[in-house]
Amino acid sequence: MSRSTVSRAVGTRLFAAYAAASLVPVVVLGGVLAAGIRQDAVDRALEYGSAQAAVVEEMAIAPALRGQDLAMGLTEAERERLQMATDLAVFRGSILRLRLRDFSGAVVFADDGASGPAEALPHYPAGEGVVPATGTAFTTAVDGGSSVALLDDDDGLAVGRMIRVLQPIVADSSGRSVGVLELLLPYDTVAAEVEAATARTYWRLGAGLGALYLVLGAISWSTTRRLRRQAAQAAHDALHDPLTGLANRELFARRVAAGLERGTPGAVVLVDLDRFKEVNDTLGHHAGDHLLREVGRRLDATVRAGDTVARLGGDEFGLLLPGVDDPADARELVQRVSDALAVETVVDGVPLAVEASCGIAMHPADAADVETLMTCADAAMYQGKRGATGVVVYDRRATAPSPHSPALQHDVRRALQDGDLRLHYQPQVDLASGRTTGVEALLRWQHPQRGLVGPGEFLPALEQSGVMGALTEWVLTQALADCAAWTAAGEDWTVSVNVSVRNLEQPGFADTVARLAAAAGVLPSRLHLEVTETALPADLAAASACLAELAAHGFGAALDDVGVGFASLSHLRSLALTEVKVDRVFVTGAAAHAEDAAVVRSLVELAHGLGLSVCAEGVETAEVADWLRSVGCDRAQGWYFSRPHPWPDLVRAPAPEPALTSVEVPS
Amino acid sequence: MTRSRRALAGAAVLAAVLVTAGCGSADPAPADAGPAVTLDERLHAALPEDVREAGVLTVANDPSYPPASSFGPDGRTIVGFEPDLGAALGELLGVEVEFRASSFDTLLDDLAAERFDLVMSAVTDTAEREQQADFVNYFRAGSSIVVPRGNPFGIHDLAGLCGRSVAVEAGTVQVGLLERAQAACARRIDVREVPTNDDALLELRTGRADAVLADYPPAVFVTTDPRTQNSYQLVSDTQYEPGLYGIAVDRDRTELRDVLTEALQRLVDDGVYQELLDRWEVGHGAVDAVTVNGALPPTD
Repeated sequence: MSRSTVSRAVGTRLFAAYAAASLVPVVVLGGVLAAGIRQDAVDRALEYGSAQAAVVEEMAIAPALRGQDLAMGLTEAERERLQMATDLAVFRGSILRLRLRDFSGAVVFADDGASGPAEALPHYPAGEGVVPATGTAFTTAVDGGSSVALLDDDDGLAVGRMIRVLQPIVADSSGRSVGVLELLLPYDTVAAEVEAATARTYWRLGAGLGALYLVLGAISWSTTRRLRRQAAQAAHDALHDPLTGLANRELFARRVAAGLERGTPGAVVLVDLDRFKEVNDTLGHHAGDHLLREVGRRLDATVRAGDTVARLGGDEFGLLLPGVDDPADARELVQRVSDALAVETVVDGVPLAVEASCGIAMHPADAADVETLMTCADAAMYQGKRGATGVVVYDRRATAPSPHSPALQHDVRRALQDGDLRLHYQPQVDLASGRTTGVEALLRWQHPQRGLVGPGEFLPALEQSGVMGALTEWVLTQALADCAAWTAAGEDWTVSVNVSVRNLEQPGFADTVARLAAAAGVLPSRLHLEVTETALPADLAAASACLAELAAHGFGAALDDVGVGFASLSHLRSLALTEVKVDRVFVTGAAAHAEDAAVVRSLVELAHGLGLSVCAEGVETAEVADWLRSVGCDRAQGWYFSRPHPWPDLVRAPAPEPALTSVEVPS
Repeated sequence: MTRSRRALAGAAVLAAVLVTAGCGSADPAPADAGPAVTLDERLHAALPEDVREAGVLTVANDPSYPPASSFGPDGRTIVGFEPDLGAALGELLGVEVEFRASSFDTLLDDLAAERFDLVMSAVTDTAEREQQADFVNYFRAGSSIVVPRGNPFGIHDLAGLCGRSVAVEAGTVQVGLLERAQAACARRIDVREVPTNDDALLELRTGRADAVLADYPPAVFVTTDPRTQNSYQLVSDTQYEPGLYGIAVDRDRTELRDVLTEALQRLVDDGVYQELLDRWEVGHGAVDAVTVNGALPPTD
């Protein structure tokens, strides 16, 4: 709103500048032309006077003279002829004054009879007095030139405007000059015509220039309007998502910042659609776009009037709820939003139920700057994605670092560089022999502030991030190096490394593993890759192919956390696995609860039936270890046997409990 | 704001162009310096005492004979190759030479009456005139026929003038030339004598005369001058009865006559004479040597 006002103001200023700038040449042009026209009119009048005087001199004056210098005086006959020649013109007013003067300036003949030296002449109050003999006008005529002037009202004339001409009297054909003719001609009759013509020209000029200015103005106006619209459009495009028309991340951040600056409380909500990628993958991007637009519409329709809805990118939306200061209110509002999204949508004939994870962060309670606030909301949203409830209010203690937190990714990258990451190994014991046959590599982060951090605290958060690949490669390289080390020390342990399904889906992953193993000099059979069952996707084609390729290279593959995830029995049958690992939730209670015991027993039987070995996790007591051995479980790991240790400490780890030793089955 | 400032600058440039477009430019006229002549003390000393005392030689002239002499743009100053020659003589002799307008018809009478010291007005030296005055000859010219442009009467020579009215300046050699031409005519030539050569041309221009007889130089002048060439035409380049112009000096003032002769010969020798004639485009009439009373006998 304020933006468009600003752009309009800028556009108006620009137009005003254009209009003013084009007015300058138009006005100057008008001024120059008008002055020229006026001067032309005066020049025409003067030319008219000059021509008339020449005719008077040639036709009336010169023939009346005998060709003698006027200083010699006039004969009576000459005087008579002059009067006869000029009386009628004087009487009719065609001539206002007529004087013949000799070269000294004395008047020899005048229409009113006032002759003699200039100083002897009467005073003419109306302004038609005799021209001084020393003036330029007179001397010009003496030298053979012609001097013409327009006497205006400004000169104090009482008889109206006049044209005054002084020119030599050339008495005969020889070109001899005998004196000066001074003639005053009426101008007003000419002036009326000249001024009418001038006025007409002024009108035409004014109309023409006005039209020119209007055209310039119209061009300026249309240009500035187009510029303004383009600028407004560009400004809108820069701050809005083209697909949904909602605010984009930039605008959202600005509004959040504005809210923070005002200091009023409010809530920032991040809404992330669950399994949106599946919609895109199965129904196509067109359907995905359709769904995003629908989500945008619903968000917009559900929030209050003053709230901001933004699409932050991908399937992530943001809500800014100003004025909300109670987390409970925020949760209630967001729950309504979530419910609105959950209403079934039909996209391309397929009914879809959109589920969204919403993270709420309150300001100023949770953070005082935009980035931290967004991180908090992100963390809360991520927690919601993992938990049962989709709407989570940020809680500093409960919320894990957000996977989208640039800070966390940055920290992990730095940890990789600085060598702050460690691998600890937990022995896996063959239950029949009691001998350690392998170890599981477990990632530890020697955090500079938080101390030793377990993978559960940061690894899930990085699952989708770009740092994951580098991290996996580092773990594999380190584990293989340690494996080579203990092989050299005479141990024949296998090493199990946890990999994510994302790793398996990457093209060339199997080759990378083979290359790293070869580089470390470790036999493929010594490396087991553990895939977490919960992470198995619906479409297994890529992961399955990768596992098959790994098996072909001779690597072992275990399915992790069996029993608590979504893996189907078909997975067990179709994937190229060598082992299943039974989750600790069943193992811990197996000795005490019949239900857990039944599950474990069945899984062992099932795995054996499929030709896979079984490894039990979380063995904490001798009792459980004994029971597992009794049901035929192949291997086990847990604190009962050993806690995880770094490799060099592994050999010095305490030996298995005597109880275990005692129940060791003799070979 | 950059954009509006640029627009204003453009407007200023436009305005400047408009303003300067209204201004004209005036070319300064080149100065007209004559050839340098320096005073000759010996010649000055040879001048008659009265002339040296007066310091001025007055010259009678009929200024209706361009390019020999005519009124200048101011209508009062006499200009032409005669005033220029006179001025050069004055500088050489150390006196002022003053040309005064007078009627051609009475020039020699005025000289005899001692109203002027000299007459220099394209006066052809004839035996008859030598009865009245001595002549220092300074130019050679004959008579030519001027007719209206297009030559409506088909006049090609003196014989063509028979039965026509011809205007001439009174007292000129052309009057005698026409009288001699009458003898060959079946129908008489109507000779109209008028006070000046300009009056004769006016007669022709207004149809009151069919031809004008005048010396060759002024005839060429009126038929080539831009102001008059649309009215007049030269019949041919033939110069009838060529004669010598002479500066008329009273027959009693031989001292003055001889000094003038020597001074003029000096100008001829120095090349000043030729240069002045060339300036008026009459170099073709230059004499090689200055003579006294060199009247040529009439051809007829």
